[in-house]
Amino acid sequence: MSEAILEIRHLSKAFGAHVVLRDIDFTVRPGDVTSIIGASGSGKSTLLRCVNLLETPTSGEILFHGRDVTGRGMNAASYRSKVGMVFQSFNLFNNMTVLENCMVGQTKVLKKSKEEARQNAMKYLEKVGMAPYINAKPRQISGGQKQRVAIARALAMEPEVLLFDEPTSALDPEMVGEVLAVMRDLANEGMTMLVVTHEMAFARDVSNHVVYMADGVICEEGEPKELFAHPKQARTREFLSRFTGQVSGD
Amino acid sequence: MDKLVKLGQDVVLLWSKYWPMYLGGIRNTLILALVATVIGCIIGLICGILNTIPYTKNDPLPKRFLLKLIRVVVRVYVEVFRGTPMVLQAVFIYYGLPYFSDNALKFTGLTGTWVAAIIVVSINTGAYMAESVRGGIISIDPGQTEGAKAIGMTHVQTMTSVILPQALRNIMPQIGNNFIINVKDTSVMFIIMFTEFFAAHRYIVGVNNMYFPSAAIEMIGYLTMTLTASFLLRWVERRMDGADSYELVQTDALTMTAGTYTHPGKAEDVLERNLEEERGK
Repeated sequence: MSEAILEIRHLSKAFGAHVVLRDIDFTVRPGDVTSIIGASGSGKSTLLRCVNLLETPTSGEILFHGRDVTGRGMNAASYRSKVGMVFQSFNLFNNMTVLENCMVGQTKVLKKSKEEARQNAMKYLEKVGMAPYINAKPRQISGGQKQRVAIARALAMEPEVLLFDEPTSALDPEMVGEVLAVMRDLANEGMTMLVVTHEMAFARDVSNHVVYMADGVICEEGEPKELFAHPKQARTREFLSRFTGQVSGD
Repeated sequence: MDKLVKLGQDVVLLWSKYWPMYLGGIRNTLILALVATVIGCIIGLICGILNTIPYTKNDPLPKRFLLKLIRVVVRVYVEVFRGTPMVLQAVFIYYGLPYFSDNALKFTGLTGTWVAAIIVVSINTGAYMAESVRGGIISIDPGQTEGAKAIGMTHVQTMTSVILPQALRNIMPQIGNNFIINVKDTSVMFIIMFTEFFAAHRYIVGVNNMYFPSAAIEMIGYLTMTLTASFLLRWVERRMDGADSYELVQTDALTMTAGTYTHPGKAEDVLERNLEEERGK
């Protein structure tokens, strides 16, 4: 087995007295597509935000290639430039065009030249089908388009892992498909992805590892086919039964 | 009616006799207001940025202490200069410097008054702008900061590339407000012998006692300056917002085959059709 990119060890997070995550353990290896599923409020998003250090874990370790990134001496910015993130609410920079959104990280953080950044940005914008819109401002494009640009922006940094925080939850149903299609392509190309999602079909068909979370703990995890077909825990079964209509597409 | 005619004659008389003085006053007022607003904005920006540097419990103690200290200093600065009259600040600084340095340092001559006036108005504007900038920064969706952090930007990069350009746009009306207030309020600088527009009035009426006609000239003069400023600021704001439309880049093969449009027309037509399609989707 190849060396892990990310190892989460005994991760806990509390907001004051409210404990959101309890003793989370899991590992992400190169090429893994891990889906984190669970009810709202189960801590999925907080977990992902902790992985990207947007939230400071209360205790536990996040090892990136074996090095703990939660320590005081660590440079969070340089770690984040290697771990891309796609948000539920897109978070495109409103003061920049689509192209500038995909270039700014490369020029400011990776110190690439304008021309190199531009070419790279175009490559990924073409990949997500947004190349014609490079001159548009975020306010001028639809939600699905924004999310595709956000994916291109993250990809343009050429991250080792890409985190998705409910990337389709803020989208109209008819726009979900275009974003999922892009994510499916990425998974097929071997991109390492960690996806918090409510799209059970995506979790089952695209990912190779599914984590079911409930009340801040990992309740069950495993192969998607196995977990969806034969959930071991009663809570998992109950949760999945709500989605039977959505999943039984085959 | 007679009175109005009389007023008109007096105004013309005053203007024809003293126009270089009035114009000189207007020039000084505008230069002072402009320079002080720009410097004030820079002070405000710096204070606003310093005030919003985030720190967590995990940061080392010296860093936390320093950031806390900066916030206290900025707070004191804002409260003191926002809470005292500018005319008094002018006196305080103009006469305070020689007082404390035993006359070794003082604002002498024309340069001295200019320097003192610019310092006072800038510091005053900075105190107001610090709060405006802080408001502008916290009004930006936290998602913008998270988006910037997520691609590895540092706090400074996030601020300069993402947050401040948007915050600046949002506080443009405030900057305009401050400029217009400065155009008018620099009139108190006569107290330190600064010859702006209102000082010209004071000098002229001292010579000939034509208080009301001169005041009428002043009213018109100030209104002209402020209205022009308002107009220019609106124009700048529109420029900052950029165009409402954008051009599609039509070289992409995908869009050509995707049937987003049937025959190439003007760029606007294509855009409209695409937008309609987006909406209809």
